[in-house]
This record gives sequence, structure tokens and C-alpha cells, in this order.
Amino acid sequence: MSERFREDSGIGADTAATVIRRSLRFVWPFRFQFGVKLGLLLVGILPGLLLPWPIKILIDNVIGRRPINDPLVPYPGFIQPFIDRLVGLSTSEILWAVVGAQLMLLFFSGSFGTSGNERDGTYSGLSQGFDTATRSENEANEGWSFSGGILGVIDYCWTLRLTQAFNHHYRSKLFRRIQTLPMTAFDDERIGDAVYRVMVDTPAITNACYRVILTPIATPIAIGLYVATMGVAFSGYSFLVWAGLAAIPVALISTLPFAGMLRRRSGASRQAGATTTATAEEGVSQVLAVQSLGGEKRQLAHFERDSWASFGRYRGVMVAQLLSVVGSVVMGTALAVYVLLRVSDLVIAGQLSVGDFALLFYYYVRIAFTASGLGALWFRLQENAAGLHRVFFMMDQPGEDDAGAEPLHRLRERVRMEDVHYHYPDGTHALRGIDLEARVGQRIALVGAAGAGKTTLAYLLPRFLEPSAGRVFFDDQDLARVSHRDLRDQTAFVFQETTLFDATVEENIRVGKPDASDAEVRQAARAAGADEFIERLPQGYQTPLGRAGGKLSVGQKQRLAIARALVRDARILILDEPTSALDPETEQRLVESLRLASRDRVVFVVAHRLSTIRSADLICFIDDGRITERGSHEELMALPDGAYRGFVELQARGVA
Amino acid sequence: MNDAAMNPPGGDAVPPRTPTGALEDLSLMGSGGRHDRMGFKLVLGLLWRCVHLLRPVRKHLGALLGGFSLLSLALFPVVVIGGDVFWTRALLGDPLTAEEAWLLGWDPAQTVAVAKLSESVRRELVEQVLWIAVVLTITLTPVFLGLLYYGMWILQRVNQLLRVQLMDRLQSLSLRFHAENKVGDALYRIYQDSAMVTQLIEVLFITPLLSFGRFFFSLAVVSAYDPQLAGLLLLIWPPALLIGAFVSKRLRVRFRDSREANSRLTSRIQETLTGIRVIKAYGIETAEQERFEWSSREAFRTAFRARSWLASFHVVIFWVLGTATLTAIAIATLQTRDAVPLAVAAAGFTAWNLGLYNVFKGQLGNGTEALRDLFGTWGRVQDIAIGLDRAFEVLDLEPEVQDADDAILLPPFKDRVTFRDVHFQYQEGHPVLAGVDLEAEIGSITAIVGTTGSGKSTLLSLLLRLFDPDRGAIEIDGRDLRGIQLESLRASVSIALQENLLFGETVLENIRFAVPGAPREAVEAAARVACADEFIRGLSEGYDTLLGERGTKLSTGQRQRLSIARAILKDTPILILDEPSASLDAQTELQLMENLTAWGRGRAIFLITHRLSTIRCSDSIAVLADGRILEHGSHDELIAREGGRYRALADAHGALSAATAS
Repeated sequence: MSERFREDSGIGADTAATVIRRSLRFVWPFRFQFGVKLGLLLVGILPGLLLPWPIKILIDNVIGRRPINDPLVPYPGFIQPFIDRLVGLSTSEILWAVVGAQLMLLFFSGSFGTSGNERDGTYSGLSQGFDTATRSENEANEGWSFSGGILGVIDYCWTLRLTQAFNHHYRSKLFRRIQTLPMTAFDDERIGDAVYRVMVDTPAITNACYRVILTPIATPIAIGLYVATMGVAFSGYSFLVWAGLAAIPVALISTLPFAGMLRRRSGASRQAGATTTATAEEGVSQVLAVQSLGGEKRQLAHFERDSWASFGRYRGVMVAQLLSVVGSVVMGTALAVYVLLRVSDLVIAGQLSVGDFALLFYYYVRIAFTASGLGALWFRLQENAAGLHRVFFMMDQPGEDDAGAEPLHRLRERVRMEDVHYHYPDGTHALRGIDLEARVGQRIALVGAAGAGKTTLAYLLPRFLEPSAGRVFFDDQDLARVSHRDLRDQTAFVFQETTLFDATVEENIRVGKPDASDAEVRQAARAAGADEFIERLPQGYQTPLGRAGGKLSVGQKQRLAIARALVRDARILILDEPTSALDPETEQRLVESLRLASRDRVVFVVAHRLSTIRSADLICFIDDGRITERGSHEELMALPDGAYRGFVELQARGVA
Repeated sequence: MNDAAMNPPGGDAVPPRTPTGALEDLSLMGSGGRHDRMGFKLVLGLLWRCVHLLRPVRKHLGALLGGFSLLSLALFPVVVIGGDVFWTRALLGDPLTAEEAWLLGWDPAQTVAVAKLSESVRRELVEQVLWIAVVLTITLTPVFLGLLYYGMWILQRVNQLLRVQLMDRLQSLSLRFHAENKVGDALYRIYQDSAMVTQLIEVLFITPLLSFGRFFFSLAVVSAYDPQLAGLLLLIWPPALLIGAFVSKRLRVRFRDSREANSRLTSRIQETLTGIRVIKAYGIETAEQERFEWSSREAFRTAFRARSWLASFHVVIFWVLGTATLTAIAIATLQTRDAVPLAVAAAGFTAWNLGLYNVFKGQLGNGTEALRDLFGTWGRVQDIAIGLDRAFEVLDLEPEVQDADDAILLPPFKDRVTFRDVHFQYQEGHPVLAGVDLEAEIGSITAIVGTTGSGKSTLLSLLLRLFDPDRGAIEIDGRDLRGIQLESLRASVSIALQENLLFGETVLENIRFAVPGAPREAVEAAARVACADEFIRGLSEGYDTLLGERGTKLSTGQRQRLSIARAILKDTPILILDEPSASLDAQTELQLMENLTAWGRGRAIFLITHRLSTIRCSDSIAVLADGRILEHGSHDELIAREGGRYRALADAHGALSAATAS
């Protein structure tokens, strides 16, 4: 029905830009938290500015015994007050003052400078494997701070909470979206792929937002602060600053050629991961088939193949990243060498002390490193882009939309189909020109050869499918204008293959009517012929069913599904092959229950078995998408050379 | 397939009864029931256990190690000498040593014998060093990156091996296990938990070696100059270890909670999607959404607790390290200021000076950084241990049904299948089969009938050895199934299940499921027998049409026929069909049974069915009720029995046909 969610993983640069822009809109609801994070980030930069100074004081003023207020280079403004306090103190006292200040810095922000750059950020990156999926845990729970100490913990916790709130919001949104997809969307899709999107792809959103919002704002500010500080102490060394800023184009140039490569490979890696998840999911959930058919080796081989392909794709991503590193290293080295040369010159010429050398180089490294983060931004975003695209693709799928829908009145009289056609996306016709009317109190049997279109017709009633032409009415209301929710509240559908949930028997029946009383549940079970075997279960109605209801026989499951439908207050009851797995005695009982149920409902039954069909008020014989004969059993049998008659006789012949 | 419900899951589940003694002890799995029994020793023990997982890649590891060693050996002297030349000689102006002058091609008279180097010499020295650094960087960086890539490849291989082992084990565990455990949990273990194995080398070898190495090196250097300060470095250990011990257990518990919560979330998504039809049909999307959001919040909550503890642990350790470092620096500063002479002159230093001060600072930084890495890694190790523990939980489960040590291959089938006094129950007190005796000869079609839930499917699942009987035996040609190799047995028995489990692959692949690589003609022939060939050709791409999840693009009748084709392709001497015609119309059913009868000559076929029309095609009929075979014989024999069950069944149909014949 829908196209396989296998969108082209090779998205172009413009698509990447679009999805990134789109993810920014997601930030708006969280703008306050983002703002606070930005503030914390900026505050965290400050201690870094202080770092080089303590050691310089220790070296020059304590060890070197130089008087405190007569340095080779002036102090920046924020240090000056501290310096003033130190004037006139002995060297020992200066030492303890500085160390004391450092201890405080350590405690509050986790930094202290012994070599001019000793600082600790706060991270909690847990170990990840070498596959995109396994790295998503860290992405989903991203917490980081460039500060340590108390400030770092606060910043970290704030960030983590923000990441989680953000991720929770958007994966819930995606999940809701998936649930509104039309039923037929899953005809082509694999469950594992959807699991992957929700768990692994959605964290790409937060990550992208952090990068896009925080980096461009924090980077210039940080650089500016470094420059300003440095400028106070070291004026006339602007070459250093320019060299640092040159890191931006350097990073850009060295990463840009590989951006497209990274993006494509990232997408491929995710796709391969989703496929592996899907294969694993199928193998485990259908283990009954795998074991009984002896297909373990084959399934394992498939999994092995998919898994290794997934690893391979990840290596592809790595290659793109490593290649960009080579480029940056080459160009970055050239820059660093230039800076080192010039600064060494100054030291050798006696214009700078050795202590200053360390300081200056420290500044250069900080500026260059920070700047390169900005230059490489687009490159790094490509990984996110691939994930974002996968998420948005799914979010953009047309769902069952109830915008502008009318409320559905409770069915009073009849259901009507008017010249209904249905064809599949590839053009094959399933139904042609169906005209049908059914009243409350009637049992309608839909009969015909396999593939004639019976189930398709049944699916039109709760609007699991939309008719390609024609209309379906409940009383006078056109179903196309009615909300899906209301419609399904009024219909009860029993699928041909039963799906039960991992819950108790009672809870499974209650799916049909969540506020049903115990008596109603039991009554429905009785009517479905299920109460006998339920009572024999170890905990009766409270027995948990286990995964996919794997503890019951198919016939028992079928009866539970019927009970589920019967307990519902729906006026329209539709059953698709309800008796296929039942023995004749149980079948008879069910037929009788349906007769009772039809007193205040319209009951549609799709069936092959004569015993089920016989007692219907109206039998519609469907052949090749059309209703070729209709009437009661007696009427149709009376038709000479009737298709229905032939159908019945074929069954009877088999029996005699 | 099972007719009676089993024990509820939980820590006090009755261990399943198996004759071989090997147990699937399910009481330990998942659901947070496992207390953290681990301590330091056990964590390390767990990691050591994984080392054998590295065996398959040991050659590669050796090569990698060699590569890195070469690289380090090449770089180390360069860095040491280059650093000294640059910092002390070029920048500070101290004269070169004789060796350095020789290495760099300088005239010793100009560079060694002088008191201080001239400016021009110093500038040139700087250039020299920088040139060397640039060349080395540019040439060695690709090598280094290449080694990293290689290392990653190796670790991926190890991870792959573990994944495959897990999957293999999961597939061989009994259906009972799968009924009790969720798919999402299995997925999480295969993916996330097994990935922890990639950290082994780093965590067990690299980091400890490097960290301890660095630390002791620093310690050695420092104590050579000043043993007292070295003592300070050692004092870091007691508080750090205490903190580590305090935190470890809590971290582990939290990490386990986090993994389990995320597991449950994965399961939640998987279950919702599996049941999406019913969810949409009954309009319970909102309830499902709430459950999802609850699970999602739980997953985040537990992750927050785990990670914030880890982050705080790092911060506290850093405080300890930082305090010790600052104290040491303070003392060193004083000593440098006062140029305190050393107890033992070493490496050209006789008293504390700026040069020594810098060396000391460097070593201190080195040593504490090593400790920081070590403790940081220890924090992560708790998570790794939990992940691996979860993976091994599965690997340690023994499958219920295994090959006996002396199991033989099954020789070609030529006589009969016998069920001898077979008893079976899924759980205590609720027997499903209570003494079944049944024989089926080669060349016969045996129909098994009975009310829903009487145990028909269970009986035949025993023939496949999906379970073993509690008492009694099942024999093929007189050989007990338990003495036959599983693979051989399942290669001789094929089944078309009542539930049509198909995969999201092409029609061709689905039919070929049990016989991968079967030629196309064989597949088409099997499809013809199953009355599926026609409709398959009518699909958009015929046999190459891709089916959706669980094969949902097809109608149930079509899926049923695919299932049958799949079983037929296996071409086994024994075939089991579970309700083969349930979703077929009378015409298709007739054709199908005709085909099967012809195809079944020389084989033994078992049919489970309710349909009289299908039953009529069989040679003998067995009525299963109350856990035993009550009646067995041909249609005519059984129909003649007064008050017999079969007769009652036939009567129900008979009355029908009488009415319709008119």
C-alpha cells in the first residue's frame, strides 16, 4: 500500500540543510532550558581564563622572587584586584594565597593550573561499541560540561535533564505518529526498522540542536574572551589571534570535501543497522517457525550477514572521519609551526619569558581548538542529518488524519455501500461496483473463492482501507467525513489471525471494552465458547498469556478474540473467518451466539464454511471483486447453475 | 500450539522438567530479580572470562600491538630528545649535550662548550626541531590512524562473534523460554549489551597498563629527586580507593536498572507494533501511548541516576587528585624558590631549579592524569560488567532439548512412526497428553482429530522434538527420537504450522526457508503442489515479490499455501500439516488434498484438521481426547461405532450435508 520506508539514504546537501533547519524549530518549546544551558556554558568558560595565571605568578613571583606589581606583562582586569591584595606579602604568603585560590577554583569549577591547562570537564560517556546503534545510548543521554567541580555537576545535571526531556518529547511524538499510520503501512515494513527509528535515530535531534545552537554562539564568545584577556597582557601579538582564527577556514576546508561522504555513509550505516534489528526481531519473535522448520542455520546466517554489513557501514563512516582528520592535521600543523616559530623568536630575543611562552601557546591552542569546532560544524552535522532525515521521513508519512471530521452518531438502522470500488496502488482491482445494504438485526455472510475480495470489503467498514471510488454510509453519514476514532468505537473486528497481548486473559478481553464489568467479560467469554477452557487455566481469567499469547492453541486464541469483540458495545460486528480453527461443536455454539448478538447489531461474517454461512439472513457471493449473487441460502440454492450452489455442492461432495 | 497455560513468570517458577538434567533456569532472567552479587573480584572475573572471546583474533591483536610498539619506539626517543632540545636548549639557551650536538649535526665547539647558546644558533635549533616534528606528524599520522582503524576492525569482529553466539543460543532455547521472555529484551542484549565486549582490551589491558605504567614512572622520577613528595603521590590512593569502593556497587545497581529499563522500552515498542492491527481496530492507541511514555520516562530516569552518579564520581576523584597535586606543587615551589639541594643528584640536577620544577610539574600532571584515567575507567567498567553479565545470562542457559553425546544420524525412513505411552504436561497438574499410543506406517495419511485444545498440535510438536515427553517415547523405525541428532531429525520431518509465520523477504526466499539455495524449479514445483503457484505468478513481481512484515501483503489463505509449499520443498519422508485447509475454500481444498495425496506416496503424512472433507482424504483417523487416543481406524470402521466420538463428529457434518443436498 505505501512505499517501503526505504528512502534513499543518499540525501543531498540541500536536504541535509533542510532537515537541520527543521530540527531547530523543535528547540522553541525548550528555549528557556537551552538559554540556561548557554549561560552555564559561558560561565564555565571563565575559569579557563584564570588558569594560566596562578602558575605564572608562582614561577615569576615566588620562585623568581620578582615583585608582584612589576611584571613583564600587565595583568588583565579581572586578575588585578587579586594582585593588589598580594602586594607587600612575602613569597610564602603569596604562595599560600595562590594555592588557596586554586583550591577554591578546584572545588567550584574543577580546574587548577599546574601546567597552564589543567582542567576537568564533567562527562559520563559510557562505553559504546562500533556501530551506530550502540552509540545512540550516549546520544540520548548526553550530559556534558566543560567545567568540573560543583559548577560542573550542576551544569551536567541540567544538560542531561534537558537532553532527556527533549528526547522524550520527540520520540513520544514519533511513536504517536507511527500509531496513526494506516494499517496497510505495515504491509511493507519491518518492525525492527521502526524500533530503530524510535530508539536510535531520534537522539540525533538533540545532538544536532546542541551543535547548531550552542556552538555558533559559544565559540565566538569564547574566542572573544580569550582574545580580550590575551590582548590586555600581550598587546601586539595579533598574529597569534589571526593564526587561531585561521583554524576556522582550515577546519572548513579540510572537512568539507568529506561532508557528503560522511552523510551518505552515515545514512547507510543507520539503514544497515535497522535491517539487522529487523532480522534479529523476526528471528526471535518467529522462533516457532525457525525451530520447527529447522531453519536455525539459515536464519543465523542471515543475521550474521546483516550484522557484519552493519559493522562494515560503520567503518565507512569512520573512514570519512579519519580522512578529514588527516587533512586537518596537515593544515593545522602548518599553522602551529608558524605560531611556534614566531613565539620562539620572541623568547629567544628576550622579549618574552619562558613562562610567557607556555601561556601564549596555551592561548593559541585554545583559540584554534575552539575555532576549529566552528569550522567543522557542517561536517559534524552530516551524521545527524542522516538520522534526522529518517525520523522526519516517518513523521511526514500521511496518517489517519481526523482533522475536520464529524462526530459519528450511533447506528440506528443500516449500513450501506454505494458503488464502492477498491484497487491497490499498483492498479489491480480488488472490488468493483459494490452495492450493499445491511440492517441492524441482520447477519450478512460474505462468501467466495480465496482472493475474491471478501476481506478487503470487510476492511472498508472500519476504514482500514479507503475506497477508491464510491461511498460507505452508516445511516446517512458518509464514513469519509467521520473521524476514525468514532468509527472504530462503533465497530468490533475479529481478524483472521489472532493477535493477543502479553497480559492476562481478562485484560485481553477487556481490550474490547476497558470499563466492562466482570460479569460482562464472563458473558462475552461464554458467548464465544471460551469460558470452559479459561476456567481450566491455572489462574482462570487472571492467567497471564505470555508473549504473543503463545500458551494457547490457535482455536482457543480465536475464541478469545471473539469474546473481545463481543464484549464491545459496537453496533457493527465484523468477523473474518472466525470458525476456521474451530471444531464443529464449538462452531455451532458460536453461530448461535452470533444469532443472539445480531439482535441489536449488524453482523458481517466472512467465511468458507457452510455451517457458518447457512444461517445468515443475507449471503453475498463475491467473485472477482463483484457481488454476483445475493439472497438467503434457500434463495441462492434455488438458482439454476448458481455460483453459490456450485460452491455449496463442492463442500458437500467433499463430506459425503 | 500449546493447549494449557504455563506457570507464570517470576523468581519462583518451577524449573522445567527435563530428562537430560540440563535446565533452563529461567528464574534468573531479567526483571530486576538479580541482586548485585558482584564485587571487585567478580567484576574482574567476568572480564577475564571474556578474554577467551579474543582468541579468534589473537593474530590480529599481535599485529596491532606490534604496529603500535614500533610506532612508540620510533617516537619515544625523538620526543624526549626533541623536547629537551626545544625547551631547555633553544628557548632557555642552555648548551647542548654532546649527543644532541652529534645527532643534530652541530659543531660541538659552538654548541656544547659554550656557556650559553647564541641567538642565531637557538633560532636554527627551533627550526630544526619544528621541521622534524612536522615531517613526523605528517608521515606518522596516517600510520597511526590506520592502526586505529585496524584496531576498530578487530573489535568489531569480536563483537560480531558475540552477537552471533547470542543469536544462536536464543534460537535453540525452548519455546517455553520464548513465551516467558520478551523480544525487545533479546534485541537489547544482542545489540547493546554485547557491544561491551569491544571495550575489553582497552579496559583490561591498555588502560591499566598505561595508567599504572605512567603512574609508576612518574613516581619513580619524583622519588629520585625527592622521596617525600613521592610519598605525597602515594597518599592519593587510600581516599581514592575508599571512594571507589563506596561507589562501585551503587553504580552497578544503577547501570543494571538503566539497561533493564531500556530493554523494557524496546520491548514495549516491539509489542505495540506487533499488535498494531488490534490496537487500531479497538482504538486503544492512547492507552498504548501512555504506556510507551511511561516506559520512556523510566528509561530516562534510570539513566539519569546512573550517569549523574558516574559524573559525580569523576568530580570527587578529581578533587582528591587536585588537592594532592596542589599541595605537592606548593611544597615544590618553596623548595625551588629556596634552591634546596637534592638528597641525590640525578639527571644533571643538583638542587631545585626551574628546570627541575617544570619536570616535576610535568610528572605530577602525568601521574595524576594516569590516575584520573584509571578511576574514570573503573567507573565505566561497572557498566561494561553489567552489560556483559546480561549477555552471559543468555549464553549460560542450557537449551532444554539437546543432542545426546551418542546421538546418531537418522537413517532413511522405511517403516513406521510410533508414539508409545506418551505423557506430557507444560506444568504440574495439568497433563496434556496422558498415555498416547499411535502408529503410522510409511505411505499412510493419518488424520488427528479432536476438540480444540485437546493436544493435537502438542503431540506433533513432540515429533519434531520441540519438547521431549515426560514419560514414554516416540520412535521412528524403532529408534527413540532422543537418540537422534536434532538436525538430522528436523531434516526428516517438516511441518506446515497452523499459524503462518512468514518473513519480510521475497516469496522465493520464504519458500526456500528450510532449504536455502534450492533451485527455482524445485520451488515452483512445491508451490504447484500447494496450489500456490498460480496466485504467486499473479503478484506484481511473481516469486520475487517482497512480502511485508510477517508477510501481511497476502491473504491468510495465500499465506497458508506458502507455508505448505515451504514444508513440501523440504521433501522429507514425514510431513505434518496443521489445519492446512482452514482458510481455503472448498475447491482449493479439494485440489490441495488431491495434490498432497499424490505427492505423499511413500511418505508418512500427519494431518490435523476439523474438516470432514479433509479427513476423508486420509487412510486412518485418530481421535484424541482426554490426553489419549480414544479411537483409531479408517473412516468406515469408526463411523460404524455406536456412540463413538468420530461418529458424532461426522454426524454433525452429516446432518449438514443432508440439509444442503436438498
